Amino acid sequence: MGERKISRVTVEVTVNGRRQSAELEPRVTLADFLRVELGLTGTHLGCEHGVCGACTVLLDGRAVRSCIMLAVQATGHEVTTIEALANEGELHPLQQAFVDKHGLQCGFCTPGFIMAAAELLERDPDPSEQALLETLGGQVCRCTGYEAIIESVRDAAEKLRQRGVGPLGLLAAALEKKAAPSGNGGGE
Amino acid sequence: MSSRIPNSLEELPVSEIRWIGKGVERLEDPSLVTGRTEFIDNVVLPGMLHCAILRSTYAHARIVSIDSSAAEEMEGVYAVITGRDAARLTNPATTAPEGWGAYCLAHEKTRFVGEPMVAVAATSRYLAEDALELIIVEYEELPVVANAQAALAADAALLFEEHGSNVMLQRKFTWGEVDSAFDQADLVVSDDYRWNRLGANPMETFGCVVDWNPADDMLTCRGSFQSQSYMGLARSLVLGLPSNQVRMISHPHGGSFGGKGGFRGVDICALLSKAASGRPVKWIEDRLEYLLAGAGQSWDREYTLQLALKKDGTVTGLRVKLLDDMGGTAEAFGAVSAAKPLAAFTGCYAIQAAEYDLTLVATNKVPQSPYRGMGPPPHNWVLEQTMDKAARELGLDPAEIRRRNYIPADAFPYTIASGNEYDSGNYEAALDALLDMADYQKLCAERDSAQAEGRLLGLGLVNTIEPGVFDWNAYAIVGLESTGVPEGITVAIDVMGRITARLGFSLEGQGQYTLVAQVLADYFAVTPADVSIVYQDSLSAPPHFGPGGSRLGVAITGAALGAAHLLERKLARVAAVLLQCGPDDVELMDGFLRVRAMPEAKMHFAEVAGAMLARSDLLPEDIDPQPQATYVWTAPGRTPADEQGRAKSYLTAANACHLVKVEVDPDTGTVDILGYWLVDDCGTRLNPVTVEGQTMGGIAQGVGAALLEEYVYDESAQPLTSSFMDYLLPSVYEVPRVEKKALTTPSPFTPLGAKGCGEGAMHTTPAAIMCAINDALSPLGLSAREVPASPRRLWKLLHENAD
Amino acid sequence: MKPPAFEYAAPASVAEAVALLDERGFDAKVLAGGQSLMALLNMRLARPELLVDIARVPGLDSIEISGGCLGVGAMVRQRSLEFFPGLADSHPLLLAGLRHVAHPQNRNQGTVCGSLAHADPAAELPALAVAAGAELVIEGPDGKRSESAEDFFITYLTTTLEPAELLVEARFPLLPEGSGWSVQEVTRRHGDFALAGAVVTMRIADARVADPHVVAFGVGAVPLRCTAAEQALAGAEPGPAAWKEAGALVSEAVEDPLDDVHASASQRRSVAGVMASRAMEEAAARA
Repeated sequence: MGERKISRVTVEVTVNGRRQSAELEPRVTLADFLRVELGLTGTHLGCEHGVCGACTVLLDGRAVRSCIMLAVQATGHEVTTIEALANEGELHPLQQAFVDKHGLQCGFCTPGFIMAAAELLERDPDPSEQALLETLGGQVCRCTGYEAIIESVRDAAEKLRQRGVGPLGLLAAALEKKAAPSGNGGGE
Repeated sequence: MSSRIPNSLEELPVSEIRWIGKGVERLEDPSLVTGRTEFIDNVVLPGMLHCAILRSTYAHARIVSIDSSAAEEMEGVYAVITGRDAARLTNPATTAPEGWGAYCLAHEKTRFVGEPMVAVAATSRYLAEDALELIIVEYEELPVVANAQAALAADAALLFEEHGSNVMLQRKFTWGEVDSAFDQADLVVSDDYRWNRLGANPMETFGCVVDWNPADDMLTCRGSFQSQSYMGLARSLVLGLPSNQVRMISHPHGGSFGGKGGFRGVDICALLSKAASGRPVKWIEDRLEYLLAGAGQSWDREYTLQLALKKDGTVTGLRVKLLDDMGGTAEAFGAVSAAKPLAAFTGCYAIQAAEYDLTLVATNKVPQSPYRGMGPPPHNWVLEQTMDKAARELGLDPAEIRRRNYIPADAFPYTIASGNEYDSGNYEAALDALLDMADYQKLCAERDSAQAEGRLLGLGLVNTIEPGVFDWNAYAIVGLESTGVPEGITVAIDVMGRITARLGFSLEGQGQYTLVAQVLADYFAVTPADVSIVYQDSLSAPPHFGPGGSRLGVAITGAALGAAHLLERKLARVAAVLLQCGPDDVELMDGFLRVRAMPEAKMHFAEVAGAMLARSDLLPEDIDPQPQATYVWTAPGRTPADEQGRAKSYLTAANACHLVKVEVDPDTGTVDILGYWLVDDCGTRLNPVTVEGQTMGGIAQGVGAALLEEYVYDESAQPLTSSFMDYLLPSVYEVPRVEKKALTTPSPFTPLGAKGCGEGAMHTTPAAIMCAINDALSPLGLSAREVPASPRRLWKLLHENAD
Repeated sequence: MKPPAFEYAAPASVAEAVALLDERGFDAKVLAGGQSLMALLNMRLARPELLVDIARVPGLDSIEISGGCLGVGAMVRQRSLEFFPGLADSHPLLLAGLRHVAHPQNRNQGTVCGSLAHADPAAELPALAVAAGAELVIEGPDGKRSESAEDFFITYLTTTLEPAELLVEARFPLLPEGSGWSVQEVTRRHGDFALAGAVVTMRIADARVADPHVVAFGVGAVPLRCTAAEQALAGAEPGPAAWKEAGALVSEAVEDPLDDVHASASQRRSVAGVMASRAMEEAAARA
């Protein structure tokens, strides 16, 4: 590590089922890596100090703030973003529920809410009011007043229970299907 | 066919209304929920540079010197500009009131902490921020004007020396026989109030990508512009470019609420682009910048309010004295918020004598910007709070004193003392519906028994008017004197018979594209999914203003209906040729142009449009063969303001009545909202689901206003709330679940009877919560007269002022 | 809001980490979950030359119960501890306290030891550590040492950790049989730092309070162990009078509390006592 030259690190991370690697300055945040390097601009930056939750993504299935995490910290882990949810044009049940229940207005915070809700419903398919509040309490929405968001997550939970699958289970199935025939890039 | 634009659902050319008034799914949602919507920060252009802005650390200081040489030499930096460049190449911002503007970068002196000083364009935002650390600014501190009272002091430092005073505007408006109302009153009730600064804080801050092409001097600005054409005109004035060389491209934005701003950022990026030989320059305002000096600070007010009453509770006179701290300049049009209360000055009440003693002053805080509601929310609180005080003094129930003062349902259209005309309403019906829904008597009994046990439980019952469909004339008293705001839509049918609507605003959350699609789908008997909405930039779109002032839903309904109607007439003329009859014999019904007397002789509109596009040679020469039409809607019957500011300004007057139950914890000073009920009436609900969304969002922001949100400055005007750890937005825990009911009193003045409703509950919720807190405190003889009622304030009131 | 440039190292062992810290001294900073540090970096309020990411050190993410203690390794995420099987039985106080820490989305990444080392006096974990009598295991160039949580915190954001030392484990003694416990706090919003709060544990023996622990937080430079209140409680008859008296002693013990936009100093002092009283009542009910 030379004194004056800008140091670089190698980031190797699986994003939405695809292995990615890049040489970056260590200071690059996970959010900027996703948005700028990978073009996954569905992850939004609302505050860049870990409060608003617009940048929430899943790291090994757990919802984290990508704005207060370095890209290099994600090395060796699996990151899931909003872009992984819809399958060939078909909205994920969580996405569809937000549409159906008017759980969004401007939509800027929505990907973060959906990712946070995905973690919750994967672990707890029938969350109590308290569990819902605990998860949603970590995300800020300035448009909806939250009521419709609560309804959206409840609706998604119900639909997922009917299908007998968790939000991430559904996703993994879709990713596998996509990866299998291509023989290119996927395949872990 | 009718020769008039339809203004009721019955007049639409369909046998069954399928979309308007229904909770139609929003066209914009699939793109938003998948993260595909192109917000401005997603935009990447070839050669694009990134701007970072060095900001003033002093509230008031002379700039002695700026050394940016090290930044200029840094690898990756393409341009560095200072206030000297701004003064050489641009004009100061246009303002209202006039003459209180600054350059986009501080020149010679800085007037508030966070004012842009130096800007850098570099190859990444990381590098641009690195470069800022190499810049040295030497300041010479000036005496600070830290608040409105200080601004008025005889020896106050001057923000703008050329004005000889910090007073931007001082005037008393008198409407009716105010003095005699007070002279003859049985009772005069008066109180002082303080509303502290708060603001919009949309989840997406402002952003732009600007390129100034040196070859043709064309300025192209992409950004989250709430009103692109208005913003473009202001840029042409500031940058000295002809208006048709400024092209504004508005991207969907992550919320706005009036507080998106970005004027200086666009000008700075324009100058940086010019300095960097026309490379596009992106600036994404970060949250610290937004909180420090963005367009998110509004309403910094000291009020005195007086009511003159008869013994029976009839209010005969109203005096409002307002001192508003506008901050360092008038660049962000925050003064509009002091003018807008004229549109509903006396609320729901028939008070024909009123006075507004208005003083706007400059201080060393961030310039005020608009925020949802644009000024009336504090006005409504002080009026409603004083009504409660009068009720207490007269021994009347809060519901009863209001009932005794309502404008009667048969008195509409009704001209209020401050000059605006309310279109329609039934306030007593809304009140009764609310009292019934919430079981008010039972709640009062519960409150009484809780208070008897010493619990601080209270009820707040408040009703307000939401002025809808703004007009500039409402703001004449602060210097914006024009009348009429256009909104245009072009409706076109393509060769496949599909409908496209073209318009000049981008989405920010209220679902207006869906509304246009609903209207056109019903007009032409197709589905909303058959209609494409295409956004156009400021130089391409029909005349437009965009969202603002609870206006767009009504305006685009008018524009879409107007354009559809013009198109229908065109199609009818062509159909008449093809069906060999007179044009007046043809009508549109259920998607078909048909001969009135012989309905089986008909052609689908797509066939007619196809004929126009393919075989214009067969049509008479005086027929325009394009199957498209543009209509520009403006509110009818608006009048210029008179010398007392009176005008027919906002076209509609929606009404809401809220009831809230709170409990104050005397040990901690915290407030719990235990119940919330509301009845509102915004005329015809064109999409009830989105209307309800506006209501709930307004409640959340109202909760924030009443309990959480505040920009705090210290005695040297240094900001103390510059992160989301200190400026507190309501979360899911703080926003109550709400029991709601809708009444519908259609507006006689708008297309389809809808009223402006976008600001909604923000007008009412802060007042309702504050009135409830004061009801809870009333057994102690205390009153909370400062917003927000934070734990710090309430605890002080309960423990240090109790006497 | 982009971090300043820094170098990055991901050592593979505690020894390697300590060596790096020793070499760079105050210019190096440990990165664990980063929930406090990264925000400071984005605001450019911290400017380390080197970040030492300890997430790649094997073995630091273990949670184990041994020797009457719950041992929590340096890289244990707050959420992992929350989900540790049986925590509701083995250490219900910690579980309750963790649920007050920010939001799940922060706890998924934030570590228990990181919060202790960051030493924000308004945070819950330092107060929990003091109330539970936690021992902190620290490794430095001279080997391992252990320190009680009560001695660990010096002042705002400052602990006894030397620049070359790493907090490798926090050991929380399990609550004695029959203990009652409570965490009470006032926040502006759910998940915010406390304006004032209190952690209380106690047993009830022979209808008297036994072995009381009372810690207030959010009111001073460090979590405040209130010995006067504990002395008053010990042997007292459980009930509102005792809670009120001991609560008042908590308020008295608060010195020079923070005065900021959210709460005044006198309010913090007073509310700390109220929270302590409420926590005593709840802890007694659970005992």
